[in-house]
Amino acid sequence: MATYQYLIDYFNESPLLIKLAWGVSSALSVAIVILTLYLKLIRATLRKRDAESAKFRKDYEATLIEYLYSGSENGTINDLQLTIIEKLKASVPIKSKRKIIISILYNLMNEVSGEMSDSIQTLYYKTGLYDYALARLKNKNWYIIAKGIGELTRFKIEEAHDLVEPFIMHPRHEVRKETQLYMVNMFRFKGLTFLDDLKAPLSEWAQVQLLETLQKFDDQQICDIKPWLKSKNETVVLFALKLAKIYNQFEVKDTLIELLSHPIKEVRVSVIEALTSLYGIEAKEMLKANFNELSLEEQISFFGLLEKLVVPSDEPFIEKHLFHKNFEIQLLALKILKSINLDKFMGLSKSPKSKGSKRIIKFVNNI
Amino acid sequence: MDTSTVKIILQILHYLFFGYAFAAITSYIILSIISGKETIEYLKKNSFVNYKDILSSTMSPSITIIAPAYNESLNVVENVRSLLSNHYVNYNVIIINDGSSDNSLEKLIEAYDLEKIDFIINEKIKTQPLRTGVFKSKNPAFEKLMVVDKKNGGKADALNMGLNISKSKYVACIDVDCLLLEDALQKMIKPFLEVTNAKVIAAGGVIRIANSCIIRGGKLIDVNLPKKLLVQSQILEYLRAFLLGRMAWSRLNGLLVISGAFGIFDKETAIAVGGYDTQTVGEDMEIVVRMRRYMEEKNEKYRVSYIPDPLCWTEAPDNYKIFVSQRNRWTRGTIETLKKHRKIGFNRNYGSFGMLSYPYWFIFERLAPIIEAVGIVYFVILIILKEVRWEYALSFLLLAYIFSVLFSIIALYSEELTYHQYKKKGTGYKLVLLTALEPFVLHPFILYAAIKGNYDYYFNKKKKWGVMQRKGLTSV
Repeated sequence: MATYQYLIDYFNESPLLIKLAWGVSSALSVAIVILTLYLKLIRATLRKRDAESAKFRKDYEATLIEYLYSGSENGTINDLQLTIIEKLKASVPIKSKRKIIISILYNLMNEVSGEMSDSIQTLYYKTGLYDYALARLKNKNWYIIAKGIGELTRFKIEEAHDLVEPFIMHPRHEVRKETQLYMVNMFRFKGLTFLDDLKAPLSEWAQVQLLETLQKFDDQQICDIKPWLKSKNETVVLFALKLAKIYNQFEVKDTLIELLSHPIKEVRVSVIEALTSLYGIEAKEMLKANFNELSLEEQISFFGLLEKLVVPSDEPFIEKHLFHKNFEIQLLALKILKSINLDKFMGLSKSPKSKGSKRIIKFVNNI
Repeated sequence: MDTSTVKIILQILHYLFFGYAFAAITSYIILSIISGKETIEYLKKNSFVNYKDILSSTMSPSITIIAPAYNESLNVVENVRSLLSNHYVNYNVIIINDGSSDNSLEKLIEAYDLEKIDFIINEKIKTQPLRTGVFKSKNPAFEKLMVVDKKNGGKADALNMGLNISKSKYVACIDVDCLLLEDALQKMIKPFLEVTNAKVIAAGGVIRIANSCIIRGGKLIDVNLPKKLLVQSQILEYLRAFLLGRMAWSRLNGLLVISGAFGIFDKETAIAVGGYDTQTVGEDMEIVVRMRRYMEEKNEKYRVSYIPDPLCWTEAPDNYKIFVSQRNRWTRGTIETLKKHRKIGFNRNYGSFGMLSYPYWFIFERLAPIIEAVGIVYFVILIILKEVRWEYALSFLLLAYIFSVLFSIIALYSEELTYHQYKKKGTGYKLVLLTALEPFVLHPFILYAAIKGNYDYYFNKKKKWGVMQRKGLTSV
């Protein structure tokens, strides 16, 4: 008691700064104790949740597989399947369980096709998961909306089109991207119509995902990409150039040649690359004539085009650049010369030149 | 000097130390708040991302993993296997054998069926020449692998050789002894592809400590808390630094350092600035500062990103001698970089980089150990002169200690609520206990190493990298 009183007196008589330091220390100590206890609680909860999730996953994986394999040929739902649906329906309102069911269904969806895939979709509707996904679209948080759209995409829910489409103009690029993926997953090339008036940039991440999605379909009948090549949005043009390359769009060659004078260098370089893969021989003379006005990246790309489309009459042009100051151009020029005039190339090794050039000639000679 | 003058000087010094400590604590609080916001935003953004398309797409941008190796024969074969098992289609691995005097090359040749190939290097950055040459595997299963055997030139020189050889758009520079998780590349490449309003020039990842973890076939199987207090303390330190510090600087676009253990760079920019500086021991920090400076001077919008997922695991020093040597080198690297780029500091032309990141790094990283050491000496002098007002000294020491414990607990929170890597029962108690012990078992050695680093930088110029002896990660 005396000690306690001494401490109280000491504190009361201390200067303000010391009082403040002790006060803050005490408050922080209390915070440490509370946080430590809460940390213990969090860890215990996480461990418990992990264990429960593992148990639930194991149980429901078996149930869902049973549901899939007990289906009748005519597609009607039998009693066993109805029981399973009821069982799942009871779990769906619980967020953690719903999450697990969705993840199992999605994994199964990736492994099956045809009737079984339809069966999973039916289950998705019947258990009420579809309604939860739609409810997400009405959420005020952008990431919940994005999750909802992503889920509808994975389960190929075309019916949600009217509800999803408005998000194509959403201010968050993540939501826009999920919507774009939804459109393409549901409607293939027709789903790309959002590109017609896309003002916001289409990230490379989104472009790769869209291209991968398109390549999954058996029907590779592509729509007209010319309007996108003429888009004012440079990222749309870059995306259309990738489409032109992948889907061998020979009919857009003229538009590509027009794009060689696009104000953005990255586009011009991609155009040359696209022309290379589309055997754009028509562009060769034009690029040769303007070679000195091209940026270094364009010049390198053009030599890439020449490597593929070279003819003997290009030799004088190639000769001019045999000792270009850029390594890549010099290497490509020497390789091309070797392919069209071996004697002339062999003659180069005898004439005097810089050490660097000798090294490249020796290398090209060996390949 | 009369007594009153001495008292005034002492008073000024008191206020200076107090002001510095107050500013440091305030900055930590602000950074942890920003970090919390950034972590939440990151988790939201990644809660629905489908990485599957990216990892399987041949349209994804190419990445070259560059891993310098010097006398790594003990683990090199296993480590390369881990690098080759990444879940990303468009990548290749270049191992730069930097003049190893052991049998690393022979082991690699044997394990991966390598043969020497004709190869020409576009020497955009000057490096030490090749020794025996460039090797590729005859086995198609290892077609992604290339081994380059060159004369010794140090880690920076080896990385520069990798930059010269790589044909990819992006390069991932890593320590060969690091364990890279299978989804590391797809997660790290995301910011480069996603950001459209600025050029992402580099991205760094969290480095986790792998001592005592179980690794099988180049994969992380089980995460364990190491037994040694020194290593445990480093885990706590890394959690604080990566989850609270760098996360916040990422949001402010103010990251000055990407750990040399694992970082991805835009190759074009890395080459444009001349690659890694071979004259510094802090090449990982230096190249980031130089790349940022280059972008600022070009007046181009850019970002240095940061991914908090635990993607790269490394071995931490488990004895004080090696630990001090490592931190000594980090200190010298920081001094060298900040000195070399001193033009940036408090220079409005460099925007927040010059007015916020650099000054923060200078004041709270570069000067911190010096101020702390001076403070300790000053305190001792006051004790000798019997000028210590113990009621003040004790209350503020206690406050500083409690704050440091609380800050570490917040870092643990951040870990538990995000990645929850140390799941085993009983680990939580140990980690909390560690928050109380770490200021005594780790901090004094960090301070000592930093002071020694300062001394070596100014008076022992010959000192370079020092030796980091590896025991190898626990493979089963």
